[in-house]
Amino acid sequence: MGAINLKMLLESQTLERAPFPVPVGWYFIDHAENLKAGEMRNIVVFGQEWVLFRTEGGKPGVSDPYCPHLGAHMGHGGKVCGEHLRCPFHHWEYDTDGNCKAIPYAKVMPPITKKGPILRTLPTVEKYGMIWSWYHPACEPPAFELPYIPEMEDATGYTGSRRGSWTANTCIQEIAENGVDVAHLKFLHNAPMIPPVEASYNGQQMHLDIGKGYIVGEMYGPGLNVMRFNQVNPATGKPVTSTMISYSVPISHDQTQMNMSFRHVDYPEGTTELAFSKKQIDHMIGAAEGEESAGFESVDFIVWNNKKFRPNPLLCDGDGPVLQFRKWFKQFYVEKPKLDEAV
Amino acid sequence: MASVTVIGRDGSRCSIDAVGGCPLMEALRDAATGVEGTCGGACSCGTCHVYVQADWLAKLPPKSEDEQMMLEAIGDLVPLKEGSRLSCQIPLSPELDGMVVEIAPPL
Repeated sequence: MGAINLKMLLESQTLERAPFPVPVGWYFIDHAENLKAGEMRNIVVFGQEWVLFRTEGGKPGVSDPYCPHLGAHMGHGGKVCGEHLRCPFHHWEYDTDGNCKAIPYAKVMPPITKKGPILRTLPTVEKYGMIWSWYHPACEPPAFELPYIPEMEDATGYTGSRRGSWTANTCIQEIAENGVDVAHLKFLHNAPMIPPVEASYNGQQMHLDIGKGYIVGEMYGPGLNVMRFNQVNPATGKPVTSTMISYSVPISHDQTQMNMSFRHVDYPEGTTELAFSKKQIDHMIGAAEGEESAGFESVDFIVWNNKKFRPNPLLCDGDGPVLQFRKWFKQFYVEKPKLDEAV
Repeated sequence: MASVTVIGRDGSRCSIDAVGGCPLMEALRDAATGVEGTCGGACSCGTCHVYVQADWLAKLPPKSEDEQMMLEAIGDLVPLKEGSRLSCQIPLSPELDGMVVEIAPPL
């Protein structure tokens, strides 16, 4: 008793807020409607600037800004020409895969342009009405495909235009860890109790069940989370499910843009199901009317924006499966490739 | 050190003394023979094209894939011969002392 555990007491001195690189994964870039054919603009994501553009034919592209020729920033003064991004400096043109397709004043195209891409681009797809890019620090191709989400992809049956976007000054792992940390729901969010949680892992996917079927969902890599809230509509005694789709993006290694879309079944106007669905979604976001527990909007940021990461957390019997979550998440961290010195 | 005989585009002959280890392209470029060496030796411009006389071909290092592709590409614009090489890919050595090369036509 009274012995000093110096290691414990002084560990705080060595802690960092976000000691991880940007993880590998599919990430939301923008809503598809925000990028018209022929448009281009600069974005900052994954710790650097990129040029986001859409070809005249409608293909979205995300490319490194610096032209491989002499380094001009193509996002300043560059242009979309047909299916290509054109550099302002000497009008070299690139397709969405980063192949140099034209050098207007060269008599001969350098052979390196025939061998493969010379401009770094991110594999980019359009899904759920959104533009998604695959980030990998060594330019490896996607390790999995984005899943089918009926609430977002079915032509009929679902509706809901509520969305939210928030900036968190921490890394994406800290935000994702929130999902398994069920204890904080009672104390930070004022939920009536700590719900039970079951998490299982399958490759790049995590399955989560909070409250024995209350909130059930999947995480697909760090960048996509689909959670379905299942509750009984008190007016009918029948279950109603609303869906929260969460698509956070690492802006840098220590800043994350959180984005959410909320969808529900397209119940007819005036039904109790519709009213209950809306209440479910209110609850997901912030305090719903008549409820005391808070959604993440107000309270989680107070913690995220100030906490540090404890690599050796002191967990008790009531805590959720944080360590298993961290072990699963580790797979998304990849070494930056060491390139030989240029000759 | 190697002494290389250069046949210019106008048919004139001269001799260039070049430092061993340096690419032939640099010596040709610096001697104002018409070889530009714009890309600095990356096989991406084709402006250092020379015709190496037959007896010397076997002494040269084999063509890389990049040199081969570049020669094929410029073949649409200028004549290619048996001795066609990119001089940026020929490092000078005492073995090449006395080599004769002809500057190929410009692109």
